[in-house]
Amino acid sequence: MIARRLFRSMQGLGMLRPRAIAPVCLAIALSLFTGLASQAADAPLESQIQAAFLLNFTKFIEWPAGALGAPYASFNICILGNDPFGSALDQVVAGEVVYGRKVTIQKIDREPEAGFCQIVFTDAQDYDPKLLSRLGRGVLTVGEGRNFVRSGGMIGFVLENRRVTFEINRPAADVAGLILSSRLLAVAKAVTK
Amino acid sequence: MATTVAAMILACVGILTLDSYLYRANLGRDLSALARIVADNSTAALAFGDAKAGAETLSALRARNHIVAACLYQMDGTILARYIRAGERRSCPPEDRRDELRFGGSEATVSYGVFRVDQRYGTLMLLYDLGEIAERRRLYGTMVVGVLLLSGLIAFWLSSSLRAFIADPISQLVKATTSVAETGNYGIRARKISGDELGVLVDRFNEMLTGIQSRDNSLTVALAAREEALRDVEKATERFRFLAESMPQKIFTASPGGDVDYFNQQWLEFTGLSFAQLKNRGWTHILHPEDLDANIESWRQALATGAAFSIQQRFRRADGAWRWHLTRVHAMRDTQGKISMWIGSNTDIHEQIEKEEELRRANDDLQQFAYSASHDLQEPVRNVTVYSELIAKRYRDVLDDDGRRFLGFLTEGGSRLAMLISDLLAYTRAGANDGNDGSDDDATIHSADAVLRYTLSGLAEAIRESRAIVTYDSLPDVSMGEAHLQQVLQNLIGNALKYRTDEAPRIHISATDAGSAWRFSVKDNGIGIDPSYREKIFGVFKRLHRDQKYSGTGIGLAICQRVVERYGGRIWVESAPGEGSTFYFTIPRQTGHAFSAAADLADGGR
Repeated sequence: MIARRLFRSMQGLGMLRPRAIAPVCLAIALSLFTGLASQAADAPLESQIQAAFLLNFTKFIEWPAGALGAPYASFNICILGNDPFGSALDQVVAGEVVYGRKVTIQKIDREPEAGFCQIVFTDAQDYDPKLLSRLGRGVLTVGEGRNFVRSGGMIGFVLENRRVTFEINRPAADVAGLILSSRLLAVAKAVTK
Repeated sequence: MATTVAAMILACVGILTLDSYLYRANLGRDLSALARIVADNSTAALAFGDAKAGAETLSALRARNHIVAACLYQMDGTILARYIRAGERRSCPPEDRRDELRFGGSEATVSYGVFRVDQRYGTLMLLYDLGEIAERRRLYGTMVVGVLLLSGLIAFWLSSSLRAFIADPISQLVKATTSVAETGNYGIRARKISGDELGVLVDRFNEMLTGIQSRDNSLTVALAAREEALRDVEKATERFRFLAESMPQKIFTASPGGDVDYFNQQWLEFTGLSFAQLKNRGWTHILHPEDLDANIESWRQALATGAAFSIQQRFRRADGAWRWHLTRVHAMRDTQGKISMWIGSNTDIHEQIEKEEELRRANDDLQQFAYSASHDLQEPVRNVTVYSELIAKRYRDVLDDDGRRFLGFLTEGGSRLAMLISDLLAYTRAGANDGNDGSDDDATIHSADAVLRYTLSGLAEAIRESRAIVTYDSLPDVSMGEAHLQQVLQNLIGNALKYRTDEAPRIHISATDAGSAWRFSVKDNGIGIDPSYREKIFGVFKRLHRDQKYSGTGIGLAICQRVVERYGGRIWVESAPGEGSTFYFTIPRQTGHAFSAAADLADGGR
């Protein structure tokens, strides 16, 4: 995402100032360096990719009617507990719109109110599986590790060959009334039937 | 054939161009759809950076063997997955973010953005091998050549079979017309090969030839007939010429307008002139000037009425002598009755005329002599009669019986002689033309009724004596001298009274209209006349009865004949012995003897 932004701005500068290529290149190089430096300092690459994936999931999943709350309500991605993303996730969702709603990041410590969160992310290894089942309809649960899916989570990030990928627990999603795109299923590392 | 091939080639080029265009359009749509499907299927792979899934999706393009390469680009321009056709050494082209379809020389390139819910995840590029187009062109070319060959074969087969159907009958027809034109033989016929329109054409042509042939034949016949007619005319003309030349007469012919156009050889010999000199009224120079007016008048009348005429006129012979000719001119008419020519014959009657003149002169001399002789004899005869009667009266007693008897014979003979002379004188007078016999009134009209009554009163004594019954019808007026008519009537009635039977004579006089003349008749119941004497009785001194029973000099009927003939009439008798006689005579109406004389001359001067 950041790279895309950078690329876009680079393109925009190039377009705006075609005759001032050398200073622009310099500026790009500087901004790129500073950007990357700040991101690297903020969160590991793995988290950054997971942040992007979080947003991307919204494109391949259909939330049941009524799960999105009032029309003016925002689309909330809730981080339960520890936030591994730092500012990366904020940057990813900045300005993004899902189902016509503004995407916002909500940090929560405990079980949220029904209908508040559309996605609940947790990186905790010691979460209560009962909690996951209590979240109910219309909430996508995303976590880390192979156990997440086995213990009732819907999408779990796993690392494979240093690549970020994910497993899907389809029955859990079905119970929550979420419809997963077959394309999403196609790129999942594993799908629990 | 060339135009057909050209048309076909043009059509093929058109089809190829259209096909190429349609193919490209189709291909474009097809590739766009394909790219869209592949891009759709690649969204998750791109979204989650799953190269394996991307490659799997792309590998489905194997089914389209014209796809050379397919590449999925991530947003940072790196290639996520690629598909290269087996056996192809290609790499992915640089990413092109514009959604477009581009046709290159041998390849088409499609670039298509990969989106998921308005979010772009990357780009799909497809490389399409356009070898298919060339393949299609080859296929089409082969098809065109094949179609051309096939259509050529069909055309060849059609034309050769059409030749049998059309060209052969037509060439037959052409052959027939050519030979007809060259030989002029209308008996030639075109052979009919088929029963279609060409067959009908051949039939019509043959019918036409039949028509022409029959017309040609009839024309030949008509020409032959015409030639024969012309030959006939020539023959007739020749015959006419021969006839005209062989006749002793002088023959000429003239046009319907009266212009003389032919003189026969006799004419030329007689006049000593050529045809050129005679024609165009040149002949009038050899006509006697005195006869010219009569000639012109005759021609004028003939041309006006078309009637034939004959005149006597004099022509000058080559030696200058005038010769009398009798000219007869007739109109020859054609079948419509129109005058086609005039034919004239001229007979030399000069000798005849001269002899007649001689005869007439001799007759006149004789008549003159008879008249003067009888006139001169009257005086001495009267002396004899007077003196013999004087002797008989004065010397009766002196003479003896014989003397008295002899004197009686002398007296009787004298009176008889006087009577004869008187009759003779009457006869000569009746025939005289000198007009001294009271013929001043010859031409005037007199009532025959009056003349008859006058005559009967003169005969009253004889009628009374014979106790005859004389009846008569109403008689017409005639143009005849009173004295002459009386002479004739008196003689005829006198004869009827004289030659009677024992019965009382019954005499009836009448006149009937006989057209151009009045026919008078005097019928009696007398002794009648033997048919063999019917002509003789009109001669001078011809008496049938020598005995004393019927007195007379034998001149009466001769006088009658002379008078009647002088007026152009005729006298004859119809009778049988014992049945009475009827004497007839005719007097022409309204005609004087002058005309009769002219008519006599014209008729040959008989």
